[in-house]
Amino acid sequence: MTELLLDVRQLTKRFGSPAAGFLAVDNISFGVREGEIVGLLGPNGAGKSTTIFMLLDLISPTSGEIRIFGGDYRHNRDAILQKLNYSSTYVEMAPRLSVYENLLVMARLYQVPDEKKEISTYVDKFGVREFLGAQFHTLSAGQKTRVVLCKAFLNHPALLLLDEPTASLDPDVALLVRQEILESRTRGMTVLITSHNMAEVEEVCDRVLFINHGKIVSEDTPVELARKVRHIRVQLMMKDGQKRTVAFAKKAGFPVEEKDRFVTIEVDEGDIAYLLASLADQGVEYRQISIDKPTLEDYFIKMLGGGV
Amino acid sequence: MNWHRVGAMVLKNQYAFRRDVFRIFDIFWWPAFQLFIWGLFSTYLASASANRVNLVTVLLGGIIIWTFFDRASKDISLALIDELWNKNFINLFSSPLTVSEYLMGVVLISLLKLFISAAFMFLIAGAFYSVHITTFGWYFVPAAVGLTLMGWTMSLIVQACIMRWGHTVEVFIWAIATLVQPFSCVFYPLRALPEWAQTLARALPTTYLFENMRSNMMGQGIILSQLGLSFGLNILYFLVALWFFYRTFAYAKAQGLIIKNY
Repeated sequence: MTELLLDVRQLTKRFGSPAAGFLAVDNISFGVREGEIVGLLGPNGAGKSTTIFMLLDLISPTSGEIRIFGGDYRHNRDAILQKLNYSSTYVEMAPRLSVYENLLVMARLYQVPDEKKEISTYVDKFGVREFLGAQFHTLSAGQKTRVVLCKAFLNHPALLLLDEPTASLDPDVALLVRQEILESRTRGMTVLITSHNMAEVEEVCDRVLFINHGKIVSEDTPVELARKVRHIRVQLMMKDGQKRTVAFAKKAGFPVEEKDRFVTIEVDEGDIAYLLASLADQGVEYRQISIDKPTLEDYFIKMLGGGV
Repeated sequence: MNWHRVGAMVLKNQYAFRRDVFRIFDIFWWPAFQLFIWGLFSTYLASASANRVNLVTVLLGGIIIWTFFDRASKDISLALIDELWNKNFINLFSSPLTVSEYLMGVVLISLLKLFISAAFMFLIAGAFYSVHITTFGWYFVPAAVGLTLMGWTMSLIVQACIMRWGHTVEVFIWAIATLVQPFSCVFYPLRALPEWAQTLARALPTTYLFENMRSNMMGQGIILSQLGLSFGLNILYFLVALWFFYRTFAYAKAQGLIIKNY
């Protein structure tokens, strides 16, 4: 069993007075092991960013405990932040400094040895070299995000906190970022990531914490969470027996939709065989069939009360 | 205190300063503006007045050493709002940089700018009005140090207020000098103020520095007890301001104000 690198216990954040304030994070506990990539998912205002900012010591918790690398911020702030880094689509860097100057300042703050070599490495990895001399404010949103990502990797963090890291990136660059995250994990880096891109989370995360109204409402692997959405969509492109198919689905209690030559039926995973066998018994013929397994996105929508 | 990171902050501000035309303009324009306006005014007064002795020198002396307060009170606050406006605060403080290291970095770059500004002022004052650094004698050192310290004190209070109340109170960065100046007796003696204002002025370390400057320039010597009182008050106010700044930073962290507002 690998070591618990991040240990959060009964963490609570209330803004304002105890009586009339706003409870942003409500008594959450979780741990992240060394080398794990964990997704922190939830709707806007769920408490994800507040949690990340508490993990960065930018917001003080109302109560609870955060231990990173076995220490806490009260006694080990310097040592913790030296081995941690953060990237978000929503933060910027000094606008009138060039990209290189910004990265050099950040490298000095993290006391990166051989700073020029490290900058050069990540500048190439994230395709930043072509605008290395440009002032930060002249860059596009996607370019800025790439620069901030360079900054996040400069000190080879043992724990990397990523808040929507690919939100403004082109798909090819987003792919590069995901590859870098996965590659860094092989070097032992641990990642806590928030994203609204469910496919991305499914691709890179070992585990997902789903947070809503400040509470962790579920925690599992992306596959297992998706499996909790039991309904599977079976879409048939009909050749013969469209009316019989719809009538059967309604009689069996399966939600059904009909559009042109297509019939979509929602069934539990265990009912697929029964459905197909029953349609065959009734002489129904179809040209195409597609069975869509639930994704993390379906789970996300379900958890937000949007149905499946 | 990690000097490597302090050095990083100096480097960052040095880069930013080089690119910021308005700040370069600010360093040279305001001293020149004040010297020309007040210089001409005091020259006029000197020529019209029966008491010609020292008037120009005393007024220009006031302007020159007031610059130390003016610049010190603005520069550190401007560095803070720069980071806040540019959404760079999160990057800086999610790194190992501490508040003390951040402050030390901006103080060092502020001192450098202060020296450049003062040198430029003496250059103009020497060329146009024959007022040189030697006009002040050794008193120039405690006067400059005292006014710079008081400027930093006011700046810490303004920065704390910005963290607490946000952009709306930024105007105090520019207003603080004009608020303090009338009670500091920069261009006139303490006795010229009304009684109620004299009470307030006596609570300011700056008042004693300007009273002694005039006394020194007129060859009446320096009252060391007043100088001591000025530095005593200065140190006391600085420590209170420092405490207030750190306390407000902790409050802003607790309330998420730094993240929420910027």
